[in-house]
Amino acid sequence: MKQRDLELLSSYLDGQLSSADSARLEARLRTEPGLRSVLQDLRGARSVLRQLPMRKAPRNFRLTPQMVRKNPPLPRAYPMFRFATTLATLLLFFTFGLNYLGPQLASQPPAFGMGGGGEPDTFAAESAQVEEAPGAELPATEAPAEEPSVAMAPMPTASAPAEDSARTAETTTTQTDEAGNVIGEGAAELQPQPASAQTAPPVSPVWQWILAGVALLSAFVMALMRQLAINRWRRRN
Amino acid sequence: MNEQALIRDAQNGDLDAFNTLILHYQDSVFNTALRILGDHDLAADVTQDAFISAFKSINSFRGGSFKAWLLRTVTNACYDELRRQKRRPTTPLEPDTDDGEEMDSPRWLADPGMTPDQKAEADELEHAIQHCLDNLPMEFKTVVVMADLQGLDYSEVAVAVRVPLGTIKSRLARARLRLRECLQGFAELLPSVFRLGEESTA
Repeated sequence: MKQRDLELLSSYLDGQLSSADSARLEARLRTEPGLRSVLQDLRGARSVLRQLPMRKAPRNFRLTPQMVRKNPPLPRAYPMFRFATTLATLLLFFTFGLNYLGPQLASQPPAFGMGGGGEPDTFAAESAQVEEAPGAELPATEAPAEEPSVAMAPMPTASAPAEDSARTAETTTTQTDEAGNVIGEGAAELQPQPASAQTAPPVSPVWQWILAGVALLSAFVMALMRQLAINRWRRRN
Repeated sequence: MNEQALIRDAQNGDLDAFNTLILHYQDSVFNTALRILGDHDLAADVTQDAFISAFKSINSFRGGSFKAWLLRTVTNACYDELRRQKRRPTTPLEPDTDDGEEMDSPRWLADPGMTPDQKAEADELEHAIQHCLDNLPMEFKTVVVMADLQGLDYSEVAVAVRVPLGTIKSRLARARLRLRECLQGFAELLPSVFRLGEESTA
C-alpha cells in the first residue's frame, strides 16, 4: 500500500477529500479489493477509538487566585507613594554623597590637563614670577590649580578664591622677601581650608531628615495599602 | 455560553470568566491528557497544570478554535510530563495484568445499568485500546486522540499540534493503520465488540 493511497483513504473516511478526488477514489475502490480492505481497516480502527468512553473529569479544575498567583488590585494612589518613596530615597543618598564628596572635590587638585590648561598666559606669567623666587615651586603650581576646583564647586567654597588669591599674593610677596623659610607658613595657612568646608556641608542635615521621613512615611503607607488590599481580596475570594 | 466574551474577559484578568470556560472544557482536556498519558491521576494533575498555564498565557490566544488552543496547552503539558518521567522513572503502585501491563480499569465510571459481563467487556475494550494507543509514537498518538477522540477537524489539529495539514493527514492515516494492526491482537478477547470489518460504509 502506497503512503499516498493510505492518506487518501483516511481523508476520504473523514470527508476531507474534494468531490473530484472522492469520485476518483470511489472508482478505484470498485475495482481494487486491496484498497477496499484497507479502507475497512481504517474505518474499523476509527470506529473502535470512538467507542472509548469519555471519562468525566475526576474533580473540578476551577482555578483559585492563589493557584495563578494573581495579585490583589491595589489602590490608584499606590504608584504615587511608590514613586515618592523611590525619589526620596534616591535624593537622600544623593545628599549623603554630595556632603561627603563635595568638600573633597573642592580641596582636591584636579588631574593633569583638567581645568588649568585653559589659561596658559596666566600660568606662564605666574611661572615667571615664581622663577624670580628660588625654591617657591610649590605655591606657584598650586595657585592655578585652585581656580578650577573652586569653579567646580562654587557654592560651598565661594569665599575660597578670594582668600586663595590673597594668600597666594601674600605668599608670593613674602617669598620674595624671606626666601624659602616662609614657604612653610604659606602652606600652613592653606591647611584650614578643607576643615572649614567640612563644618558647612552642602546639604543641611535638616533636609536629609526630611527626605528620610518622607521615604519612611511613604513606605509605611504603601505597606498599609497593600495589606488592606490583600485582606479585602482574601475576604472576597 | 458566549465563548468569545468569556475569552475577552479572561484576557482582561477575569478569573471567573476563565473558570466558566474550564467547566465547559475540563472533560475534553482531561480525556486528552488521560489518553496521551494513560494514567488517571497523572492526567488529573497535568490537566490542572494545563489550565493554570492556559490562564497565564491566555493573551497569546489570537482567535480560532479555543478548544484546539486548550488541547495544545494540555498536549504540551503531557510532553513535559513524559520528558520528566523519562528523566526520573518511577515504579507504578497499581497492580499489573498477566501480560505485565499496568491495570487502568475505569470501574468507578461503570454504567450502573450494565451487567457485570458488559462492564468487564467495556473495561477490557478500553484497556485494549489504551494499550494500543500507548504503543503509538507520541506524535501519532496526539493526532489520533485529537481527531478521533476529541473530534477536531484536520485544520484544528494542525493548529493544535503546529504542523502542516499534510503531515496531519499522513500521521492520522498511519496511526489508524497501526491501531488496527494492534487491535487485531485483541479480536478473540473482545469478540462481541471487535467487529471492525463489519461496519457499514460512512
